[in-house]
Amino acid sequence: MRKDMETVHMRSPEGEVKEVEATTETLTPLMVAGWHQVPAPAANPEPIAQKPAAPAEEEK
Amino acid sequence: MASINELMEGWGFGKQTAIGTANTSGTIWRHTNLTTKPWPKVPMNEDDKAEIGKGHEFPTQLFKSHYNMPPYEISKYASSEFLAWAMCFSLGNVTMTGSGPYTYVIVPALGATNATGLELPYFSFVQQIRPGGSAVLDEMLVGCAVKSWKLSIKNSPGRASAMCSVECVTTGQYTSPSGITLPAVSTPHEFNAGMITALTFNGVNYLSGGSAKQFVSMEASWENNFRPGFFPGSGSQDGYQIQGRFEWGDRAFGVQFVVRVQSGSTEYSNLINLTTGTATFTMARDANNSFSMLIQKMGFSVAELGNTDGIVTLQITGVQLYDATNGLVTMTLITPVTGICQ
Repeated sequence: MRKDMETVHMRSPEGEVKEVEATTETLTPLMVAGWHQVPAPAANPEPIAQKPAAPAEEEK
Repeated sequence: MASINELMEGWGFGKQTAIGTANTSGTIWRHTNLTTKPWPKVPMNEDDKAEIGKGHEFPTQLFKSHYNMPPYEISKYASSEFLAWAMCFSLGNVTMTGSGPYTYVIVPALGATNATGLELPYFSFVQQIRPGGSAVLDEMLVGCAVKSWKLSIKNSPGRASAMCSVECVTTGQYTSPSGITLPAVSTPHEFNAGMITALTFNGVNYLSGGSAKQFVSMEASWENNFRPGFFPGSGSQDGYQIQGRFEWGDRAFGVQFVVRVQSGSTEYSNLINLTTGTATFTMARDANNSFSMLIQKMGFSVAELGNTDGIVTLQITGVQLYDATNGLVTMTLITPVTGICQ
């Protein structure tokens, strides 16, 4: 997919969501197969990597 | 008394959330209309004439029956806004992208995968004459749908060379007064036949090459053949039954065009040889306003020799075939208006 290309999110009749180029050539076969436009999914915040708990140092 | 010129009409460019839920003001636009009459409301009464036991054959009582709302035609010069609206509401499966201008890609919805089954999007229609305290007419018809449209292209000057008329139906539900303050009348970006940039039917390019001066006119049409929408629980208004749904029947997509006959014309041979091919029709006003109709597979059923203004012509009736991958037809509109059918 080109970076400067407008894209759109489409959902298949089975529920699969895919981001595709918003061109007539790309959209036509999808829409004919029953895909519909859906809003872009909300961007998920980056998961915060949790550091593994450090083993407590043994008191000397 | 009021002049028909005072009639103001607006309708939803956005879709209703349900058949009985009217458009809000922000999703209604106002346009002019070449149809010079309001949309009439027709409540029907019935009587007991057919019932025996009264001692005579004459009616003795009246009963409220139903709202028999006639179809109403919105007739306009073709524009990017109006064609986008007509195609979205008549075909049903719409994708909108862009941030101004907006691109709409539209194909006919299929009942198996359409979220509303056999029903298309609904819109509200507002008609007003001197709205306010002493309104002559102020009502909003709720639950309207596009029944059919006709796009006509012809060899003539000006806006009349590209016309679109849309036939609408409505349930019978209405609110009066409408409660809507219509916006200023829109100025649509209109097309004319001089703006046609692609005109290729079944392998023949009528804009350039040997066939460049052959084309005379075209008429494309769509018919949803709605089924009657009266059913148990369909609702009532003023004690009259109203329709509660418009489900499409056997839809029909028609294309006819007229071309001048010249030596080597291939229309006859295309018909006889059952040749099929794509058909592309595009009008482009500028980068922000265009309309393209891509028929995926067109063959010819009739090629009738005739005469148009003294020139020998062929009137071709196309047969639009359904392609397993790309369907029947794809409409692509670019227009400055966002939110059409959204």
